[in-house]
Amino acid sequence: MPSYKLYYFNVRSRAEVSRLIFAAAGEKYEDVRYEQDEWPAHKDEMPLGQIPVLEVDGVKLPQSRTIARYLAKQFHLAGKDNFEQAKVDAVVDTIYDLLNAFATPFFEKDEAKKEELTKKFLSEELPKHLQNFETLGKLYGNGGHFFVDNQLTWADLLFYNYIQSFMEFKADCLNNFPWLQQNRAEVEKQPKIAEYLKNRPNLQF
Amino acid sequence: MPSYKLTYFNGRGRAEVSRLIFAVAGEKFEDVRYEMDQWPAHKAEMPLGQIPVLEVDGVKLPQSAAIARFLAKQFHLAGKDNFEQAKVDAVVDTIDDSFKGFVPTRFEKDEAKKEELTKKYFGEELPKHLQNLETLGKLYGNGGHFFVGNQLTWADLLFYTFAQAWIGVEADCLNNFSWLKKNRAEVEKQPKIAEYLKNRPQTQF
Repeated sequence: MPSYKLYYFNVRSRAEVSRLIFAAAGEKYEDVRYEQDEWPAHKDEMPLGQIPVLEVDGVKLPQSRTIARYLAKQFHLAGKDNFEQAKVDAVVDTIYDLLNAFATPFFEKDEAKKEELTKKFLSEELPKHLQNFETLGKLYGNGGHFFVDNQLTWADLLFYNYIQSFMEFKADCLNNFPWLQQNRAEVEKQPKIAEYLKNRPNLQF
Repeated sequence: MPSYKLTYFNGRGRAEVSRLIFAVAGEKFEDVRYEMDQWPAHKAEMPLGQIPVLEVDGVKLPQSAAIARFLAKQFHLAGKDNFEQAKVDAVVDTIDDSFKGFVPTRFEKDEAKKEELTKKYFGEELPKHLQNLETLGKLYGNGGHFFVGNQLTWADLLFYTFAQAWIGVEADCLNNFSWLKKNRAEVEKQPKIAEYLKNRPQTQF
């Protein structure tokens, strides 16, 4: 087995899906977390001056989405053949579309404008994205509660992680989406994940 | 072999990387192209109301990156093992990061604002991303001209097609990036690609 070292800030955000993958797979890794003031000293060590980065037997890999897909493939959480992996990738890309759309209100500097954009996003745009997730889950899920082929994949872990953040903005955002609520409940019930969630650092985001 | 049907607008855009993959692999597919006025009648047929969509033996797959990665894996243009595929994915994610800021400059309706956004993108934003891409090419390229492992992968094809869009607006945008220029030249020289480029429809985007 290769040796794995994951570098990120001391937050969930873009590295958490990879930490969830390691936990679900029961695999060991070095979980390096930089506080904000430590990071500048290490920036030049990273290929693109960004984190997360995964180091595999000493070779560095940037890009959070790529890191997660690689680990999922290593630990059989990516889908069982090329086409299933493609369905998982399609769900993942759809989740990232939601995150990218949220960037506009999230990074708005004008406070009044930010509040207006965020409110509009949560009430109008977010439901459309959530509807897309349910569509894909019902199309690919083979009648089960997981997004693809009635089995846990990293798409479920990614969804679980990011919706947690949206629920902090709008606790009832999944109220009209019972399939998605059930999906998250299934993820939380997995014994290794339940254990991980109980013990991980309690962080703001 | 499965039957493949690719549906998109009559343009290069987000489907061209997949058409290039089919061309390099010498594989057949149905190349469905909608004009702008034809598209609304078909929107509801697509899982997320968007294109491109790849239909594989009748099952629809949305999301252009998921489609391209699937086809690349089917036709051995994705990298030879999990870690090489991850390096390819990291380059792809970085190309995607580069392209994100370009789209708003194309769709801005106010002429003066469009010119300002375009100037900022090409003057400040894009060069940083191009530098990152050269960094990755030199890190993963094994001394060759392709991004990963001294072999053509879909990362090279994606860069080729997106860079064409940039060059269409700002012809000298790669002038300070000789490695990237050489990479595109190598792609164009591949016999099946040269043939495809010669014969493909000339479209506006």
